[in-house]
Order: sequence, then C-alpha cells, then structure tokens
Amino acid sequence: MTRDLVVIGAGPAGMAAAATAAEAGLSVALLDEQKRPGGQIYRDVDRAMVRRGAILGADFAHGAGLTAGLRHDRIKHLAGAVVWAIEEGFRVSYTQDGKGAQVSGARVLLATGALERPMPVPGWTMPGVMTAGAAQILLKQSGVVPRRAVLVGSGPLIYLIAAQMVRAGTPPLALVETQTRGDMMGAMRHLGGALRGFWTLAKGLKLLAEITRARVPRHTGATQIAIEGADRAEAITFHAAGRAHRIVCDTVLLHHGVVPNTQAARSLGVTHRWNTAQQCFLPQVDDWGATDVPGLMIAGDGAGIGGATVAEIAGRLAALHAACETGHLTREQRDARAGSLHRALDKDRAIRPFLDAAYPPFAQALAPADATIVCRCEEVTAGTIRAHAGLGCTGPNQAKAFGRAGMGPCQGRYCGLTVTGILAQANGQTPDETGYYRIRPPLKPVTLGELAAMDNPGQDAAE
Amino acid sequence: MDTDYAIIGGGVVGLSVAWGLLSRGRRVTVIDGDDGAFRASRGNFGLVWVQSKGMKQPRYARWSQQSAALWADFAAELGENAGTIVPLEQKGGYDLHFSEETLAETVEKYEILKAKLGGDYPFEVLGHNALRKEEPHIGPKVVGAILHHQDGHANPLRLLRALAADVRRMGGQVLTGKTVTGVTKPDGFRVTCADGTVIGADRVILSAGLGAATLGPAMGFKAPVRPQRGQVLITEKLPKLINRPSLIARQVDEGGIQIGATNEEVGLDDRVTQPGLSGLAAEAIAAYPALARAQLVRSWGALRVLSPDGLPIYQESREMPGAFLVTCHSGITLAAVHARLLPDWLEGTQAAPDLEVFSEDRFAVS
Repeated sequence: MTRDLVVIGAGPAGMAAAATAAEAGLSVALLDEQKRPGGQIYRDVDRAMVRRGAILGADFAHGAGLTAGLRHDRIKHLAGAVVWAIEEGFRVSYTQDGKGAQVSGARVLLATGALERPMPVPGWTMPGVMTAGAAQILLKQSGVVPRRAVLVGSGPLIYLIAAQMVRAGTPPLALVETQTRGDMMGAMRHLGGALRGFWTLAKGLKLLAEITRARVPRHTGATQIAIEGADRAEAITFHAAGRAHRIVCDTVLLHHGVVPNTQAARSLGVTHRWNTAQQCFLPQVDDWGATDVPGLMIAGDGAGIGGATVAEIAGRLAALHAACETGHLTREQRDARAGSLHRALDKDRAIRPFLDAAYPPFAQALAPADATIVCRCEEVTAGTIRAHAGLGCTGPNQAKAFGRAGMGPCQGRYCGLTVTGILAQANGQTPDETGYYRIRPPLKPVTLGELAAMDNPGQDAAE
Repeated sequence: MDTDYAIIGGGVVGLSVAWGLLSRGRRVTVIDGDDGAFRASRGNFGLVWVQSKGMKQPRYARWSQQSAALWADFAAELGENAGTIVPLEQKGGYDLHFSEETLAETVEKYEILKAKLGGDYPFEVLGHNALRKEEPHIGPKVVGAILHHQDGHANPLRLLRALAADVRRMGGQVLTGKTVTGVTKPDGFRVTCADGTVIGADRVILSAGLGAATLGPAMGFKAPVRPQRGQVLITEKLPKLINRPSLIARQVDEGGIQIGATNEEVGLDDRVTQPGLSGLAAEAIAAYPALARAQLVRSWGALRVLSPDGLPIYQESREMPGAFLVTCHSGITLAAVHARLLPDWLEGTQAAPDLEVFSEDRFAVS
C-alpha cells in the first residue's frame, strides 16, 4: 500500500493531521497501536465518554470531535497496527492481527506523543508502584481507581488525576509534591505568558480547589523520596517542611512530567537538541513540523511537550505543509489557512514556560543515588553507569555495550534520558555532547515469525 | 617520549594488543574514538571460530587455531585481573546445511585443508538424525551439519569491557572521544588529534578498523580495507534452545538467541533493513522452527573490516619504520593471539610468529 501521507499515532496531532490532509485531497494511512482512536489523552474516547464522561471531564469530550474527522474515504485507519520499523524513503513496517505488513509513502508524520518521564527513586521498581499516567489509563479504560494511593512528584497531571480520583469517590491519601516555593517564585516571571493562556491556568486552579475541598493533604518541596516495602510497596518516606514523613499506603503513583517520545525520530536520524527548560531532547523541527530528514514531519508532544490543543493545531499545520508539498494546495492557500493556526499555537504555547518553571522534574530522580536501578529491563544501577564513565564511556552507546543498560524490551525508552544525564554529569559534558542511544528496530515488539513471513527473496537481497 | 606505543583504535583489536604489551611492561597510550563511531567491537557476532577460515591460506587457519587454543587461558587471566568473567564456551560449533550438495562440497574442501594442516582439523559430519540428538530443536529442513570441535563462542561485549578495565588497571593511558588527524615521524612519532592533542611515541600501531583506510596511506600502508555490513538480530531471553553455535544462530550466555548475519556491500551504512531482518529471521526459523514464536528484542547493523582476501593484515611500514598496521575482521577469534603472540612480532623477539603471509605484499599495486 502506498499513500501520499503516512501518519503514525492517532492522538490529537495524528487525528487532526489525517483529517486535514484528507480534506485537502491527500490519500492518508493512519496507523495506531490502539484498537480505537484517541491516543493517550483521548484514550478510547468514543466509548469512555458514554460510561465515564462525568469523571473524565469536558476537555476529554473534545476528543470525540477529532475521531469524527477520521470518517473520510481518503483515510485508511489501520487500528491495532504496531509500527516496529520506519526506513527512509519511507517504508513503514508494522504488525496488525499477528501479521506483518508495510505501507509506503514519500511523506511521514510522526505523531507518537509523549511518555512519562521515569522517576527512579529507591524502591520504584517494586510491585505497587506505577506511573500516574498508567493509573489514569486504567481509569479511562476500565474505570479502575487505585485504593490507598499516594501521588508523588510534580506537574499538572498529578492534579488532574487527583481530581479524577476524588470525583470517582476514591481520593488519594496524599499528594507528595517535589516542586518548591522557589520554583513557583521563579515561574512567576513567566506569568505574563501564563495569563495569555489564562484558561489553562484557571482550569489548574479549579482542579486544586477540588483536591483541597476533598481534604487531601498536600506536601510540597519533598526530597529524599523512597518507597519502602518487603516485596511490594508498603509506605512512602520523604522529607518536607523540615521533617521526615512516612505514609503507609498500598499504591504509589509516580509522575514528574512527560517527555517527547523520540524513538521513531531517533531511529531515522533526526537531529535532536537538549532543551534545558524541559530537561529533555527535542527533535529539531521548523514551523510546519518538518525535520532535517526529507519528507519527515513531527507534530504534537513528540516534537516538544505542549499538550493536546497544541498537538491538534500542529497536526493541522503539518498536514497543510504536506498538502502544499504534494501540490494539493498552493503556497498562498496553505499560508491563508495556516495564519490563524499559527496564532492559536502561539497563544496555547504561552503557558508552557510557566509550567516548565513551576513544576520542574525531581532533581534527585534525574541524578539517582548509586544503588538505585535506572534501567529496569536489565536492572542496571546508577552507580554502574557512573563506573562505566570511569571506563571511558563518553556516551550511552558505549555504556550500553559495557553494561546492557537500554538493551531490554523497552529499547531504552525509559532509561535513555537518565543514562545520558548521569554520563553527562560524570564526564563533565553537556547532554548534547553526551548524546543518546542509537535507536534501531524493533521500535515495538515483533516476533521472528512475523518478520520471516515478510521474507521475499526477490526484494533487495539480504545476502 | 610520552609512551612506548601509541595505539590508534580502542576496539577489541587495539585493546588486545595494548593488553599484551602492558603485560610485558611496555608503556601504552590508546587513542579511541567517540560514542557514535563505527565500532565492529560492539556489533560483532561473538564467535571464536576456526572452521571455514583460511580455506585458501592454511596459515590463516593455523593462526585461528592458535588463537582458539589460547583463548580460555587468556579469558581466565583477563577476567581475574579485571574482577569479572569473560564468558567463553568451546565445545564445538556447526556449519548447518540445508542441502546434501553444499554439505558434501564443504566436506571435500575441509578434507583438503585438513591434509595441508597435517591432520589437525578435528571435524565430523552429522546427518540430520545425529544432529537432532545434539540439537533437539533443529528443524526438518536441516539435512546435516559439520561439527568442528575447535569452534566456540564468547561474550564479546564482556571481553571489550574487561579489556577496557584491565588496560587501565595496568597503567595504560586511554584517551576517548578522539579523532586522529595525522601521524608524522620527525624524530619519534607524533600522533595529532582533531582537538589539538599530540601524543609522542616510539612506535605506533594502527588498529583503527575502517579508519585505517583514511589514516594508513599517509603512514606508508596500502590499508585496502572496506566495510561490509552485517545485520544481526537478538531475541528475548529464552530457556536453553541451542547447544552449540553456528553462523546462523547461537544462544548467548544471557539467554537470547543471536541471529546473523548479512553480508552486504553498502559502504559506510550500518542501518538495518526490513528485507535484511526478514531474511535472517526466515533462515533462523528454518534451522530452529521454535524461534518463530520468539520476540525480537534488538537488531543492529555493523560494518566488518574486510581486506580484499578477507585475511588479517600485519605490516610494518617501510616509509615509517616503527609504525604497524594491525587489522582483521575476526577481532574476537584473534584476540588471544593478539594479546599473547603479536607483541613478540611487534618487538621483534626470537619468539615472533611468522606473519609473512599476512603482509601487504600480497596486494598487487593497481
């Protein structure tokens, strides 16, 4: 199958891009590993709204409008398609219903979104500990709410999940927040921008009010966070307000922000640069989402965290760009339609500097103690990575060869930023100098049988 | 002089030689590249292999045998010194065949080589049923195998890390993140790096893999090495499925099944391709059908460092005496001779191995 545009990911960016491109006349393939469109933010929105709309809120309902846009005869929506390789040119290999298949196209839009920044603190790999985002997926998908849970970390998502838990009648035992008063003071200099994103700010305050009304205790400026337990989480300990705390609990939900999922872009060799404000690597894209790999675009959180509205707009802009490049729109038509989108994008991004400064990642999880595991697939500790630096590992690829960090099934998705951070610090280099894992297929799991079934010796021969 | 030997290239070849020289009390400085450099040491298949090597040049077969014989002792000493283990298993390896014709042809060639080696080439031919007794998971398409008793496999990454650790422990200087831009010999050698670092040395060893093609000519070498891509797959960790390694698949000490490798002339391109991965998967499943259900965990492409005839090159420069080219595409197999025997050749001692057939004289001037 060959399409004008191949979109990977059916979240807000991917859905908006597919609809916009199809309307402009492009044939589109939209691949997503979920059975139903929505991405993480609007996960299974069409069905979840019916059952749990009141808990999930009005912003969530907006996703239903996006899924409606996919009903277009120029859009081929490949649901449950797990993409495991993208080769330049482009040849996209995926598995659907246990069978390997391919779609090709001269243009690819990556809309693979974000993933939660892992929070390696002592005890984080024990049963009973999960990310706050994973808890929210359970809520959206199955209506399951963790009991006797403590939310730990920083960022707006913690408040959203706490409020949703309150609405579900199972409030968290406490919020243990790592951001400090100083972070908030520093963030105030971005308040001008934040006020331009007034509605976002107002929604945040409303969530906080809901949490406070439910009398959920909040601890801020927490440090020395550790999870205790014999073989599963039994309590969380930390320091806050000048003293030690211990909260007995069954579940610990960790979250200190989200970062772009750059695996697919990395696998294609897109240039990335370290972003100090967001403490992560960002693929380098222009105003349309175009990268330095010809024909490859990125929209949404995968290009830099901006949230659902920003993602949707960026998806539309990338689609307009693709439509122009393929001759479906003139440059004038593209720019006419893009003008208001660019303005909306600026407005919606205005709050981001404030949020980045007010809710920074937890410093002690960016530079974990030696005994803390950072690569959970291969159980490699921070101390082992530091020892590799002493053996001359200037970057994560040599460290991977030396100690298997990043070799597991997650492809380094979860330890990559931590390992780069530890090596950068140990070697006295910047993250850009240190670099990142070389990402290779499979981006997602695939069996040898599925691979072999695609063997066609007539193709550009392997041997 | 800063050092007795400046070794350009900190892969398994350079570090093995460095380790051998340090063991003899020489001062060594290893100059290594950056994290993204083409590194065959990170991408190789990990065999310690004898069969099929040197079919046209018995000296190469012998050299590989010498190394295989020294490997266990080398790995044990290295591991003990570095406070680690370098996993090695030498209980034979297979050349698997899917047709009686190719099996018979190969056996015939092995018999000729065996005669040239005075009979020291211990292999046996296993038909399908005999092979099945050794390898219960072998598939029906495999008609038989040649089992060569001098073959085996190692964990090449543990070897690399142990060498990196022990070379430092013995006082070797290792400079990482360097790109060598020039080697001159005004009096002693001066090795210059892109960042301005200059290393003075009595002698220089060029073991920079594909980098030798660029640096070699200015040092008086032909250095006719070219890249050849090999794509490799590895599965999730599995219970014991394969007893002995072959060129098609081996079960590594951590449990994954490693599957290799393509031979592709694509220049300096180390990417993997879907046709490459699919072809390898299909062949591995033909050999071991149970692999069809296994999850692929990683794949990679690496570039072999090949000379025109595939043999190693050991050459002292005639223009710059004291500069040596050491290159091969079997850095793991030959690690033991590079550590144990090559220092005698570099130092010109009585015990120096005869490496005449590996000189650059064999390459005609074109």
